[in-house]
Amino acid sequence: MRREQTGPPDFARDPDAFETFYRRHVDAVTRFLARRAADPHLVADLTAEVFLAVLDSAHTYRPDRGSEIAWLYGVARNTVLAQRRRTARELRATGRIAGRRLLDADDIARLEERVDAESPARLALEAMADLPDGDRALLELVAVDGLSPSEAAAALGIGQGAARVRLHRARRRIQRVPGVMELIGGTK
Amino acid sequence: MNDTFEDRLLAELKAEIVAREARTRAPGSRRIIRPRFLAGAGAGIAVAAATAVAVPLVAGQQTPAYALTRHPDGSISLQINEFRDPDQVELDLAKMGVRADVTYLPLGKRCADGRAPFVAGDHTSTSKEDLASKDPAVQARIRKEAQKLASARAIRSEHGITIRPRFIGPGQIVLIEINENPVPPDTAHPGVAWQFSGRLTDGPVKPCRVVDDPGAFDMGTAGPPPGS
Repeated sequence: MRREQTGPPDFARDPDAFETFYRRHVDAVTRFLARRAADPHLVADLTAEVFLAVLDSAHTYRPDRGSEIAWLYGVARNTVLAQRRRTARELRATGRIAGRRLLDADDIARLEERVDAESPARLALEAMADLPDGDRALLELVAVDGLSPSEAAAALGIGQGAARVRLHRARRRIQRVPGVMELIGGTK
Repeated sequence: MNDTFEDRLLAELKAEIVAREARTRAPGSRRIIRPRFLAGAGAGIAVAAATAVAVPLVAGQQTPAYALTRHPDGSISLQINEFRDPDQVELDLAKMGVRADVTYLPLGKRCADGRAPFVAGDHTSTSKEDLASKDPAVQARIRKEAQKLASARAIRSEHGITIRPRFIGPGQIVLIEINENPVPPDTAHPGVAWQFSGRLTDGPVKPCRVVDDPGAFDMGTAGPPPGS
């Protein structure tokens, strides 16, 4: 009932409100994606996909359940996972806005720099590949993407207590992998 | 120009929001929307936008809504409310053999110039100075010349908006942009109810990059379209 009354947040319905939301977060989203895709064209496609997914799933956003960025990283994470289940060709065929079509040479150079800057993070994510899925998801969002543990819990839709347990377990395991703690800044 | 990928993506996403809102508003709210055409009668005037090489042509005035109609001479009339579901209009027109690209936007927004090439029959010798002229005599002459262009023969502001397929060349696409005022004007608050521009193109048609059109609310000195 409550959802019926409140409807999706303004940023999904009002172009000006959306612009404010988009400008606040677009850099964080492309950096998030550059940590997971090394090809600027794919980063552009995924950026378009993430913000379209924002419009599709805005009704799931609850201001009382964590920050916008936590919710947005949750959306971005699902978009990346969905993309990995498909091929690049399929992504382009199904994308309603083909992000790469909007790129010019300057944009590609800028995204390449961003992809390069995120290469330590990509190495860290690779090193975490063997952790159990649930534990890895939390460690990624906290140690690599910089969310607080409670934000990461909100992004993944799990409780705070469960998040703390999984995060602790993931940190302990990952310490045994040589070199990862340096990549993710050790104490985070 | 500091137009970046992020800016271009933002424009596409905003257009997507407008299109979605138009789609969700269209079916259920007809009963509420219909009176605006009656209430606005006599108040709404649309202005044909002008460019250097061709004049996007047609200007319309609101009339009570009725359904997409095929006339005995083969022409097809549409009413403004039908354009709130642009995908459906494109489908309906396609069934009647007309390829169309329809964009529905709120008044005050428009697609940026350069979406699609002009057809040869739309090139005019009218100078830039004349197009910008405020002289009623010059404006009347331009309107008269504009009526002879290929697009004006194919798309007219009669019975709402009328498309005449026999004037559409092989492979040509009907490019229509509708800008509707979200606040319907009435006799107490006259204003532009909606604005429309239509022309032919051989394609390709690029996606609409939504830009501001602050002058759209200004009724200005433009008269009603010829013949209305």
